Amino acid sequence: MDIFDIVGPIMVGPSSSHTAGAVRIGYIGGKLLGEPVKKAQILLYGSFLATGEGHGTKKAIVAGLLGMEPDDYRISDSFNIAKEKDMKIEFGEAKLNEGHPNSALLRLEGINGNKIEVLGQSIGGSRINIAQIDGIDTNFSGECPTLIVHNMDQPGHVSEVTSMLAHKSVNIATMQLYRSAKGGNAVMVVECDQQIPKEGIEWLKHVEGILKVTYFAGI
Amino acid sequence: MFYYHTLKELEDLVNENKLEVWQVVEQSDMEENGRTKEQSYEKMLNMYLAMKEADKNYNGNLKSASKRAGGDGEKIHRYNVANKNICGKFIGNVMEKAIKMGESNACMRRIVAAPTAGACGVLPAVLISYQEEYNLSNDEMVKAMYVAAGIGKVIAENAFIAGAAGGCQAEIGSASAMAAGALAFLQKGTVKQIVNATALSLKNMLGLTCDPVKGLVEVPCIKRNSYGAVNAVTSAQLAMAGIESAITPDDVIDSMRRIGNSMPACLKETGTGGLAVTESANKYLEK
Repeated sequence: MDIFDIVGPIMVGPSSSHTAGAVRIGYIGGKLLGEPVKKAQILLYGSFLATGEGHGTKKAIVAGLLGMEPDDYRISDSFNIAKEKDMKIEFGEAKLNEGHPNSALLRLEGINGNKIEVLGQSIGGSRINIAQIDGIDTNFSGECPTLIVHNMDQPGHVSEVTSMLAHKSVNIATMQLYRSAKGGNAVMVVECDQQIPKEGIEWLKHVEGILKVTYFAGI
Repeated sequence: MFYYHTLKELEDLVNENKLEVWQVVEQSDMEENGRTKEQSYEKMLNMYLAMKEADKNYNGNLKSASKRAGGDGEKIHRYNVANKNICGKFIGNVMEKAIKMGESNACMRRIVAAPTAGACGVLPAVLISYQEEYNLSNDEMVKAMYVAAGIGKVIAENAFIAGAAGGCQAEIGSASAMAAGALAFLQKGTVKQIVNATALSLKNMLGLTCDPVKGLVEVPCIKRNSYGAVNAVTSAQLAMAGIESAITPDDVIDSMRRIGNSMPACLKETGTGGLAVTESANKYLEK
């Protein structure tokens, strides 16, 4: 265990799971969208829904969507900042089937029209898990550089991604593969030890059968 | 390799290498997390400076989201400066700073989780008060922070530091154990006295439940920071006087884990038992 998970993080209170973790879910959601958020539907579940109000969970998620990190003084003022930036926010209840008690489902639309749906879970301390992207199961923390590739479920795409990473001297820490159905849409989540150079990511975007490439440099 | 998983292993590393506790914890952080000495030190210094900044920035006019918490830090401050303090200046300051930090946390101010946000008042209350009392350098305080962090790491690895996992003994209890060890270090205690202060402190917190009203980090969390901090001072003093815990530090931590595991869910941060379901709790938000 990292001693700075014991002493730290520096964060805005009152709760590492309901506030700091919620900021991180919003932050990663916004990064995964890849552009400033225009519209956000924020659906809460479990303890987030039950006690979120008093823990500033809603303000925290909005702060994260605005690109703030858990130690940002402006978190408690995030609703006003969102209004100034013309970000439309709607809250509701997430209907999940036995979800993690601290879950938030984010439906985001960016200023260029990109859309993404992200299910985040706050799993203790300020650590989080991204459990779904666009309805497909995933499992990553966002703590290291993370590459997310949406592709057709066809032979060869995993090797294209890993070859690119090998070529750029990027070591893979973990790799997960998910698909909606055989031959349908697939998602690859690759957590790396090093940052992936921009040209590698650009190259991937143009490979046939690869539908979407999202890169997140890490919290 | 400077690897330790128990307080006994930490103690052995200190004795075998003729180092201080903070040096072993720092070295282990460098090895385990790939930080340079400078990076690790800088990070720890920043944590301490952030604690001091949070202490300085307390605002007694703020209210929490429930509109009920806030302002008690100001009350105890006024009491302390009016020379009515029956606990002595140092303990009075410790109590004041702990309450203030707990309130700052409830009011969405910036704090340092140590080990959690709910227990964020304990360690800074003890350390900053001690620094002010004895005019110590930040460097000395950073070393004390390493001692606290090493103790917290062992507790987290062998038991828990989250109220939802083990009740309040895991939050305020762990924070108090960390602060007790750090204070024994600042008083030039041996490694044996440091881990003994930890054992004494945690032992007195065993069984503490996490039953906050409405699930908010307010009642009883804020005031409990003050008790956890004073408990740390008491334990450090007992240890420095040569009083020993009959139960070894690692056995106390192991007991905390077993007690937490046998605690019912209604007493582990679900807001469904204990204080949370009293009539007063129902009225808390109505006022």
